[in-house]
Amino acid sequence: MNLLLASTQYGSWTPPLYSDHGGSIDKLVDVIHVFMFVIFIPWAIFFGYCLLNFRARPGHKASYLPIKAKVSKYAEVAVAVFEAFLLLGMSMPVWAEYKNNPPASDQRLDIRVVSQQFQWNFHYAGPDGKFGPTNIKLVSASNPIGLVEDDAAAADDIVRVNECHLPVDKPIYMRLTSMDVIHSFDFPTMRVKQDAIPGMEIPIWFRVDKSATTDAIRPQMKMTVPMAKAEWYKIRHHVAAVDHKVKDEVVLAKGADLGVDLKKGNELLDQLRKKGLAELTLEPRNPLEIVCAQLCGNSHFKMKAQVMTHTEDEFKKWVAESSKKQKLETDF
Amino acid sequence: MSTTVIPHDLEPHPLTGMYNGKFGIWLFLASEVMLFGALFSTYVLLRVGAPPGQWPAHGSEILNVPLATLNTAVLIGSSVTMVMSWAALKMKKLGAARVWLTVTFLCAGAFLVVKYFEYTDKFSHYQVWLNEPIKVGEHEVTTIKGHLTADCPKLEVSEKNGAYSVTEHVMITPDAEPGGHAHGEAVKIEASKVKRISNFGPRHSPYLATYFTMTGLHGLHIVGGMVVILYFILTGGSIWKRSQEKYTNRIECTGLYWHFVDLVWIFLFPVLYLL
Amino acid sequence: MSGHHDHSHGHGDHGHDLPFWRKYIFSVDHKVIGCQYTFTALLFLFFGFTLMMIMRWQLAYPGQPIPFIGKYLSDDIAADGVLVGDGYNAFGAMHGTIMVFLAIVPLGVGGFGNYILPLQIGAPDMAFPKLNMASYWVYFCGGVTMIASFFIKGGAAASGWTSYPPLSVFASSGQTMWLWGMVLLITSSLLGSVNFIVTTVQMRVKGLSFFRLPFFVWAQLVTSFLLLLAFPPLEAAGVLQLMDRLAGTSFFMPSGLVYATEPQNQLAGGGSPLLWQHLFWFLAHPEVYVLILPAMGIVSEIIATNTRKPLWGYKSLVYSAIFLGFMSFIVWAHHMFMTGMGTTLSTFFQATTMIISVPSVIILTCLILSLYGASIRFNVPMLFALAFLPMFAIGGLTGLPLGLTASDIHLHDTYYVIGHFHYVVAPGTIFAIFAGIYYWFPKVTGRKMSEFLGKLHFWPSFLFINAVFMPMFFQGMAGLLRRQYDQTEQLHGAVAHGLTKMSSYGAWLLAIAQLPFIINFFYSMFAGKKVGANPWESTTLEWAAPSPPPHGNFDKTPVVYCGPYEYSVPGKSKDYCPQHVAQEA
Repeated sequence: MNLLLASTQYGSWTPPLYSDHGGSIDKLVDVIHVFMFVIFIPWAIFFGYCLLNFRARPGHKASYLPIKAKVSKYAEVAVAVFEAFLLLGMSMPVWAEYKNNPPASDQRLDIRVVSQQFQWNFHYAGPDGKFGPTNIKLVSASNPIGLVEDDAAAADDIVRVNECHLPVDKPIYMRLTSMDVIHSFDFPTMRVKQDAIPGMEIPIWFRVDKSATTDAIRPQMKMTVPMAKAEWYKIRHHVAAVDHKVKDEVVLAKGADLGVDLKKGNELLDQLRKKGLAELTLEPRNPLEIVCAQLCGNSHFKMKAQVMTHTEDEFKKWVAESSKKQKLETDF
Repeated sequence: MSTTVIPHDLEPHPLTGMYNGKFGIWLFLASEVMLFGALFSTYVLLRVGAPPGQWPAHGSEILNVPLATLNTAVLIGSSVTMVMSWAALKMKKLGAARVWLTVTFLCAGAFLVVKYFEYTDKFSHYQVWLNEPIKVGEHEVTTIKGHLTADCPKLEVSEKNGAYSVTEHVMITPDAEPGGHAHGEAVKIEASKVKRISNFGPRHSPYLATYFTMTGLHGLHIVGGMVVILYFILTGGSIWKRSQEKYTNRIECTGLYWHFVDLVWIFLFPVLYLL
Repeated sequence: MSGHHDHSHGHGDHGHDLPFWRKYIFSVDHKVIGCQYTFTALLFLFFGFTLMMIMRWQLAYPGQPIPFIGKYLSDDIAADGVLVGDGYNAFGAMHGTIMVFLAIVPLGVGGFGNYILPLQIGAPDMAFPKLNMASYWVYFCGGVTMIASFFIKGGAAASGWTSYPPLSVFASSGQTMWLWGMVLLITSSLLGSVNFIVTTVQMRVKGLSFFRLPFFVWAQLVTSFLLLLAFPPLEAAGVLQLMDRLAGTSFFMPSGLVYATEPQNQLAGGGSPLLWQHLFWFLAHPEVYVLILPAMGIVSEIIATNTRKPLWGYKSLVYSAIFLGFMSFIVWAHHMFMTGMGTTLSTFFQATTMIISVPSVIILTCLILSLYGASIRFNVPMLFALAFLPMFAIGGLTGLPLGLTASDIHLHDTYYVIGHFHYVVAPGTIFAIFAGIYYWFPKVTGRKMSEFLGKLHFWPSFLFINAVFMPMFFQGMAGLLRRQYDQTEQLHGAVAHGLTKMSSYGAWLLAIAQLPFIINFFYSMFAGKKVGANPWESTTLEWAAPSPPPHGNFDKTPVVYCGPYEYSVPGKSKDYCPQHVAQEA
């Protein structure tokens, strides 16, 4: 399967998983697929047997009477029972976990997510823990969510466009809404998906694994691609993981990307091939993305946010640096 | 080979007890129930989900209940005359049947005329919402209901969503207050002060949107029924000559449809005007 | 009264003395109308497929000019030969709309239903022939409206075949055309369904009780009830969306919208975007069964004939179809699990979704058990019908993880969904439709289609259609989202790009694999082998009429003596007992 999905560490079945609740979703997905094969394979064998054994041929006659198929009844009952198990035993508990019991408000990080064509706006309360009010009359390109900036509570708020910073190992509580059309918040590596609907505010929550800081994940996703198989489309979001050398000359420095578009990318790959580079060692520029899963207009496919996960201390530092109020104080 | 005789075109099928046309019209009405059912569900969903104050407490605050009551009576009457027409046909009286049909047709026409007056009244009545309160008479108000004066500049209509906007200013004569004061002086409001302006048409509010959509669709059903009734008034003689039973059946089916259209109104009237 | 029972209530003369336009264009004969539906719908099927092939180019080679036809497309669709985002979305929305409402349903119901159903119940025509003609022409106008929308400013509807507001309300005027087109198509379906139900219930010949009806007729009957009752809510929704677009109402527009940094203050607000989804899916889930039930009907007929054996569990088939139809009205919100649904509602819809899988399993089981102890003839219709079984099974099974909320979190709106419903509809229903065309072609034309060309059509189609859709399950697992103009824009889409290309090549090869069919279809129409009234030695009533049946269908109104699938009855000289032949005691 790895062959089909390009030889990448990104995964050949479900994508890599970095949240604590995602495991139960993956388990359900796996169990269902095992179940499918358990049904389908005997079914297919029986099907093939019938086709072969009961083909029309001289001397063979069909029988008028139906077979007494007790087995099929048992099979049908078994299917129904197993479906009931999937529903009651697996899906409902996971969904209840996903939907009920939000983390306590003093232990979680609150983020407002305001989506619009075609960007994700992340609104953090800042050090004071209070969200500033918003007003749609104030919406502009530089103030995408219409934050009332002269309000006291808004002074230290942080608003980021298509850039999301999260602490690891801390419950994150997001309130999703949309300003224009329906979007869908999809964070595949956390197994989180939820529509963002205008006129509604829908909460979701999850926790990023303790070890899953961006800096820790990126090297894990390192992959090597033989130059002969390198195709720009598949590696356009990757950068060189090491200095690539041909006879001591660095042809592709660590961290260099592979061209901004197809033309540039192909030129670069050609150059590297000519220089005799055998293979590329790559890692994703940014391994974690939030994308939009609901058709929202002509640039729907471009609507994505880069996610940076930090340790709790790093995150606090980021909040402090990004908050305007904090900045003002340090300026004095 | 030359002609095809459709079974049960006239004689009832033992299973359903109906000839094809009657069974067909019942099925059609079942689908109509789903159509209006969906619209009534929409009404319930929007009204229940609305923030307080967005919907009027009673439709009568905005709509004209006496006129609608008159219309209800007219429609119920037309249902009766429709039955009379069918009964006359059963007694082989084509002439009487056509008279009853004509009365039904006229009732339907009367209904639409009344509806026309109701509609135009709403379309010429405006509401302005203001960015900040202004003083009208002795009250501070944030919204004014009334009629635009003759010299009020034309409103601009957005091509995108059909919404109105004000170009320079708007001149509006506020409605008389419930207390019975006379109409106030016309008020001039600059465009910059207007948050939103709308007549009491469908764009005004979810309530009026529902009202116009449901009564409009019902009105289309009335028009459709009138076309059919007119057709049978005009062609009655020739169909009757070919097959009396066929003509009687067709009037019966038309009647079923017509009762359904009345029934929809019987639901619409309390739901939109009284509740 | 009885004096009026003469031919006056016939609907006119359709002998050879009729002018061409009355006989073939504005005909009221159910067979001509059936053929009109089939031809028109096959053209739409081809058109919808072409849209998809162009989209697959953009997916396989994002941002590269489309070969051959790119330069002929308008700038709204393709700039310098490269498909643009709006063009891609318009193609996507129209591919879905055309395939569902203009191709598959009109083929399964309008085409096969119209032609075969009256024959199978021994009726001379449909109950309301003029209404039948009207429903075809209303359908035709709906189709023309949809096609015309490509040529107006801003192009065709681009908000998905689901047309979710507010996106669809903000969209260009192609969306308005789409809504008018849908109103016409819905009207056509309503007229048709009334006709089908009345015909089936009232016009069965003597002896043809409900439990002697071929399963195909049952499938059409249940389908008609679904169309009759599920479509009106969408019509209501369409009217509401038209009001939002044209009259400035806010049925689906909540308060406080900001579109392109402009506050939408001029709108009343107070509407609900989810209201549309409820009304839409209230139709669109039963619509799934409208797509699949006629296919099951076709496959059952062909399997019974070519196994030379009665269908296993005929009554279970019938009850399952009825139960399926009923249940399909209460599962719709499983399309909306990601809209913020709580645990109570989702539990209900998950449970009904699991329950609705049971009758489907029973139908499939009945069909496969019919093979046991059979004498299977592997002719072309049978090959297509047999291929339907495993592929429909795959389509059904992959519905499981989507119907359960927890696994749906990961798979919702991914290619897994696309793979799932295409397995049901494309290798499922379309294969059944091909089976039906090969099977009933001799009845319609009096000539058989070529077996060799048929097999040349079947095997490559079978191979390539799996090459198109099988990779989608893996793409979906990887998290690749649907409706993406450029899948490589996202990290997990870029790594799955190899599979995307495989799908695209599969699609283009699948197109080439249809050439033998097109050749066969026209060649056999004029030069195929001539056959008699009952070339497959089948039992149901359509084979009692001459091939092709004349106007009025039967030389003599048949009487039915036995059930629909009396094959290989012990002690008989022939291995089939037609329904209209009285059996000696």
